[in-house]
Amino acid sequence: MDEMKFYELSEIYKNPPHFKKIENPTYSYEGFSPSCGDNFTVYLKVNDKKIEDASFFGYGCVVSTISLSKLCDYIIGKNIDILNEIDLAKIEALVGIDQINPSRIKCATLGIDSFKKAVTNKKEPKN
Amino acid sequence: MNGLDVGKLREDFPILKKKINGKELIYFDNAATTQKPTQVIDGIKYFYENLNANPLRSIHTLAEKSTKAYIDAKEKIAKFINADSPDEIIFTKNTTESINLVSFSLRFKPGDRVATTMMEHHSNILPWLRLKPYGINVDLVDTDENLELDYSYYERLPDDIKLVTLTHESNVSGTINDVEKVVKLTHEKGALVLIDGAQSVPHMKVDVKKIDCDFLAFSGHKMLGPMGIGVLYIKGGIAEKMNPFLTGGEMIKSVRLDNVIYADPPALFEAGTQNVEGAYGLGLAVDYLSKIGMDNIEAHEKELTEYALKKMSSLDNVEVYSGKSRNFGAIISFEVKGLHPHDVAYLLDREGIAVRSGFHCAQPFIEQKLKQHGTARASFYLYNTHEEIDRFIEALKTMNKKRS
Repeated sequence: MDEMKFYELSEIYKNPPHFKKIENPTYSYEGFSPSCGDNFTVYLKVNDKKIEDASFFGYGCVVSTISLSKLCDYIIGKNIDILNEIDLAKIEALVGIDQINPSRIKCATLGIDSFKKAVTNKKEPKN
Repeated sequence: MNGLDVGKLREDFPILKKKINGKELIYFDNAATTQKPTQVIDGIKYFYENLNANPLRSIHTLAEKSTKAYIDAKEKIAKFINADSPDEIIFTKNTTESINLVSFSLRFKPGDRVATTMMEHHSNILPWLRLKPYGINVDLVDTDENLELDYSYYERLPDDIKLVTLTHESNVSGTINDVEKVVKLTHEKGALVLIDGAQSVPHMKVDVKKIDCDFLAFSGHKMLGPMGIGVLYIKGGIAEKMNPFLTGGEMIKSVRLDNVIYADPPALFEAGTQNVEGAYGLGLAVDYLSKIGMDNIEAHEKELTEYALKKMSSLDNVEVYSGKSRNFGAIISFEVKGLHPHDVAYLLDREGIAVRSGFHCAQPFIEQKLKQHGTARASFYLYNTHEEIDRFIEALKTMNKKRS
């Protein structure tokens, strides 16, 4: 990612689409990245397997925030199974980055991982 | 000015000549790990070309050379921290392993209490929380708004206190704690003290006799040495009352299946073939630091830190979290308003400036005391310069303002 692209994304970062809570979501999950401190709750409103609304709320860097925002854009209106088809390459394409730096991959995938965990209701191991 | 010829000593660090993203590297991530001088890099090559064998076991000439390299390194390190004897020096992997060794080997009984603090690295919190299921109580000494420890805790230590453990210098705020005072108060209560010296030993004269601590843990890679070698100092007389840590080769006197007799410390805590290359390299790093002089290094870093803090506080888009405590080292945690720490680190990296971002393995301190989701952190060492700080300030000045 070059600096121009970063500043383009950081403009969206100031007010990203789908940054909101959803009341009574079908699924929600609080995703957390322990090394960065990124912390987002994701919400899905699903009706008959169709994603009627998707959103996220919390705190994170430009890469995790924009990835989530673009992801919501992409999945709204689609069948819930679309989540299983989304990989890093898809997120890169959605955000418009050729190749994300290895150290930022976790930022880019925090959103999709959280959506998948929301649906499967998989909890993080806790002591 | 201080007694350091920074321009000259920078010549010893080949990596500092590298270009990062087309810019001259400015390495401000020294609290994470430091760069290595050619004396250490070439020394490790010399070890493998001239001294390599398994030490302490075989009796051939090369094995004796390897053993000598290992023992000499211990002697250098003992002298460096003013320990009485090289037998008080245990080689480990790093500070984390050193602290874990104490948590596994010290003979705790249910009802004992350990006091750590809110400003610790995870490596000085988790080894103690791990003991809770065994009936060990763990206190977390609080910090105040200046990120100083609440010393009143140590003035009223609970009767069941067995071990007090604290960092000498915070890896987040740079706060330097009054460890001598804590040791004195704790010893009056008959308990032991462990000092996490990961951020202090590389940067100032640390004298275990003056501090009078029972344990001191630190890492080689944060003081110009190789990765994978760390130190645990155990004051004479204490190791004898501890259990073995890892079991296996060279930590025994005799193994009969119905009767195992363990070796005396320090061998008791050094099972298996050790990282002799690392020990040798750390010995060379200590030679290098001693030649420059820890007092000179401390003075240079102090000057750099005060210079940077003054310049950073004049930037309206930057908030600084360090420098509020009475005593602090060359670690500055900060935020650029409106930007996530990772994005700050990314933008600085584009300018060739390496800083750390995130929780710095101190999530409780950052979340509960700094009330942040992370910080960006610049940390200096002997090879950093005022010119580098000027370039850093220039990069910060325009950050998040370019497109607004």
